This record gives sequence, structure tokens and C-alpha cells, in this order.
Amino acid sequence: MIRLRGLTKRYGTRCALADVSLTLEAGEIVGIVGPDGAGKTTLIRSLAGLLELEAEEATVLGYDLRADVTSLKTQIGYVPQAFSLQRDLSVMENLRFTARLHRLPASELATRAAQLLARTGLTPFRDRPAGALSGGMKQKLAVANALLTQPKLLLLDEPTAGVDVVARGEIWALLEEQRRNALVLISTSYLDEAAASDRLVYLDGGRIVATGTPAELRATVSLELYRGWGDDPRLIARAARQLPYVEAARATGRFARVEVRAAHSPGAAQVVRALMALPGAGVRFAESTPIDMETTLLALARANGRKEAQRSP
Amino acid sequence: MTTPIISADGLTKRFGDFTAVDRLHLTVQPGTIFAFLGANGSGKSTTIRMLIGLLRPTAGSILVDGIDVIRNPRRVRDHIGYMGQKVSLYQGLSLRENVEFYAGLFGLSGTPLEKRWGALRERFALSEAEGEKSEDLPAGIRQRAGLALSTLHQPRLLFLDEPTAGVDVHSRALFWEVIQEEADAGVTVFVTTHFLEETDYCDWVSFIDAGRVIADAAPEALRRQYSDGYEVALDLPPEGRGRAAPALAAAGGAVGTSAGGLRVRVPALEPGFLAALEGVAAAQPQAQIHITQPPMTDIFRRVLASAAGAGT
Repeated sequence: MIRLRGLTKRYGTRCALADVSLTLEAGEIVGIVGPDGAGKTTLIRSLAGLLELEAEEATVLGYDLRADVTSLKTQIGYVPQAFSLQRDLSVMENLRFTARLHRLPASELATRAAQLLARTGLTPFRDRPAGALSGGMKQKLAVANALLTQPKLLLLDEPTAGVDVVARGEIWALLEEQRRNALVLISTSYLDEAAASDRLVYLDGGRIVATGTPAELRATVSLELYRGWGDDPRLIARAARQLPYVEAARATGRFARVEVRAAHSPGAAQVVRALMALPGAGVRFAESTPIDMETTLLALARANGRKEAQRSP
Repeated sequence: MTTPIISADGLTKRFGDFTAVDRLHLTVQPGTIFAFLGANGSGKSTTIRMLIGLLRPTAGSILVDGIDVIRNPRRVRDHIGYMGQKVSLYQGLSLRENVEFYAGLFGLSGTPLEKRWGALRERFALSEAEGEKSEDLPAGIRQRAGLALSTLHQPRLLFLDEPTAGVDVHSRALFWEVIQEEADAGVTVFVTTHFLEETDYCDWVSFIDAGRVIADAAPEALRRQYSDGYEVALDLPPEGRGRAAPALAAAGGAVGTSAGGLRVRVPALEPGFLAALEGVAAAQPQAQIHITQPPMTDIFRRVLASAAGAGT
């Protein structure tokens, strides 16, 4: 559905996307992840046919992104980062507006709209102006609107930023349903959404640094993760940083998460013993624990030697 | 008990027929990190705007750092730092020029400014960004700059309204390190977030729904009340299971068996239970033990469901 080879997008002298190659097929939720300014939005906008670009190959749903993309745009659902529906129109009027643009028959609009509003809990708000909805409801409407015509490709740019967990769950359930017949691309900074994606594309500095299932990305991390449980995790984190092989340590809740570079590790049993024996830290129990999404993304960010301050957004 | 740095009682705000905040009661202890959570549209931002004197309540009382905010809405602003979802940096000005502008508002200049900003610049890793125009800063750096600016005048209390929304995981981690350092230095931090895992960086959590507080406790107490507790998987050889099971049960665990050994549920990780786990690990070095913590996302859902069930 998506075939990119050597895709590059320049803004003046700045390269927002550099030599991006990517092939994606239907039936998956693909999470686009990476640091701020990595090129996530530029990639999504490119795929939506909104940007002029250079590439050896760039086709989406069989349309060449470098040629006329008018027909492509009728076949994708796109949710940009900023809320872009009509604020003065009601929820239902917005859906009707989209339906007319796509020449959706009235009967189909009625059925689809009823389903989507019910699934997003927006039915009681169908007559409320979109501008008067809460942040979470606005985003649910934006996603419902993009799904109205049952597009084969959904492009969603951080649709859940600033959205509460219940509304995020409703949005995610809708996307999982779409996956059966469509390709869903979503950029996100939530760890649980990245972990729930079928495939991840990790961008940094405009380049694709890693792609794979969440498990495949985890497997690339050359760190070991430990947890030291105790009454004062901040104290444990500070003490753990003194161990020569500890890369980073941070307190969270009841434990300190401690990262050890695998190449320097003396072995899990010895690290656990060393954590238990940290002087004055009050470690009550220490364990080795599987690499999680937070560590995976942090490790990818570090491995790519981020020089964020020098980079423009 | 110490005097709270924030106390609000009967706090109510109506907009026409709509009650955004409904007889809200809130106390925040000094030096703590206080998470204020709620769904979109639950009344969080309205509450914050009242607490910092930007919005006059319909009813109720607010004391912030000893100041009656309703009577003296302007006076409270010298005592607090505020950072909103959209960081207020002036476009067209460099970060350094923004610093001078904000410092001027607090009457800070010359050597005291250089000293204070020098320290903040270092701690917030902003040296390289100082000369950049604010609109050119990536989101993570802009947020850190916003936090640095809101603490220029060394407030005793920081209000951070979704400071990490749209910020990448690396910047979020850095941001929370700084917030914890502020709290260690005695600053009280009042923070809202939709990244629920961040509540584990906080000392206290208050949930609000439809303008009312529906849960108010330390994160561990919420886990105890609104989850099935911690699950501990112990991969043990058969001969070790018989010794481990009674020790873990005596420490409060509900012990069951699994394919690899034992599966134990426990409402909270009390020191006694952790000691029992450590006992198992020490006696059986080949044991694989893994603790699964109930995620805050599930707890948030349960808190909301239980409030809906109670008809509040």
C-alpha cells in the first residue's frame, strides 16, 4: 500500500526527511515514533500527498506522490495534529459536510454516523458545535470523521496528544477495528500506544533508524533493566548511579529503575546482589526485569546521539 | 500535621447553567508533588485558574501559601510559578531575550539574574538553546525552557498544567528529574498530566470528575483500593515451591501455582512481603522472580467507573 524509496523532503537547506525507504501493507497499525523534530509529521504529511518531495519511488495506494494526488486524497483518512474541523458546525454537521465532499449517499451517512458516534460516546453531543467540545471529544470527532468513508489508509498525527485515557481507549478500539481492512499509521508519544502497535517506525533526524514489531525493537536494545524496591526510591536511584556499570537510574513510585549496559554487565545475579547491598539505600528487594517500551525508546534516542539543541523543529 | 500550602474548600464555579467545579475540597502539603488528574472537560483547568487567581470562583474559599486568593488574586502570583499547556515564550525573541523579559517582570536583573539563570541554564540543559529564536525550539526544549522561566523568581509553589503533553519520552524523563529535584529542594509542585505512568513520580494523586474530587490518596493507596494488586511470578523448581509458598502467604500474599512455579497476588508491596521475596531469592538463587505493578491507566479507569457507579 505504501512504497517509499529514497524519499527526501527539504525545507530550504534543512532536510526534514532524508532517504526514507519504507514498504507497508494493509492489516496493521503502524506506530510512528521518535524524538520531537524527528520528521514524524513531515512523513505523515508526505504520505497524505500534501508536500512536494524528491524520491526514487513514492507510491501510496498505487498513486505516485510526485504526480497528481487529487484521487489519492479522496481515499485516505487524515487527522492532522491541530484540530481542523469546522468549529462553528455541530458534530453531525461536520460529518455531513465530510460525507458530501466524498459524495456519500445519505442513507450510508446516517448508518455510519450513528455507529461512529455511538462508539465514541458522542451521540448525546451530536448537535453541539465542535468548537465547544472538550479536548478529548474533539479528537474523537476528528478520528470518527476520518473513518466516515471507510478509507483504505488512515494517517493520524498524534491524535491522542492531551487526550485522557478513557477517550484514548475508545479511539484505539476504533483503530483496531479498522486494521482488518486498512493500514493505520499513527504517530504517538504514549508508551502504551507504541507497545500496542503491530509495527513501529522509529525516526530520528529525518531518517528511519529502526523498524520492526515492538518485540523486535526491544531486542535491539543492548541494555539490561533492573528494579530496586524500597521505601525511598530516590535514594536508591542516587546510590545505584555510583555503581560503575550503571548507565542510568531513576526513581518512580516504589522502585528505582536501573539500566546497565549489557557489554559492561557483570551478570544479572551480581547486579541484583550489588543493588541489595547498596549502602544506606534501604533496598528491600531487587530484580532483573524485561526491557520495556520506555527503555527501548530512550535507548534508541541515546544511541542516535541526539543533539536536540542544534536541531530546528 | 503541617499547614497545607494549598487549601480550597467548597470551591464552585458555574458558567451559566453549567457547573464546571462543584464544591471541590483540596489540600496540598508543602514540598510534595501533587498530581491533579481527570478526563478532558472534568474541570481541571478551571480549578487551576481559580487557584492561581485568574478566575473568580462562584463560591468557596482558597488559601495559597497563606494568601486568600479570592481577596488578593494578584498577590498570589509572586509566590507561584505557572506553566500552561502552551508555553508562553515570545516568538521573534531568542530564549535569552525571553529570560530577560520575564526576569524584568519580577524585578530581577544584573548579577542576581546572571547567577539564577546560570544555574537554571545548567540544570535544564539549555545552554545550546539560549541564542535560538523561541519558535525554532523543539517541543521538549521549549517545555524545559518554560519550566526554567516559571522558576526564575524561586517560587515556593509551581503549577504545571500538562507540562509534558506532546513531548517525547527522552525530554519527559529529563523533565521529571528536574521536577523531583525541585521537590527535594522544598518546592511544592501541582501538576496535571495524561501520561498516567507519570503519577508514579508524584507523592499524592487527586482525581476529579464532573468538577468533584472522586479519589484523593498516595499512588500506592490508590493501587491498593482500585486494582487487584501486584502480581508476582516466581519461576521455581518443584522442590523450592513448597518452601516459598508458606513464607509468601504468611507475608500477606495469595499464593497460587503456575506452569513455572508460583503466582502470588498481594494488595501492596509492604516491607514484610518484600523481605519474604528476598528470602526466597536468597535461599534459591536460581529462582526467577518478576513483579508486575498494576498500571495507573487501569486505576484511572476504575476510579472513574466507581464514581459513575456511585452516581456522583
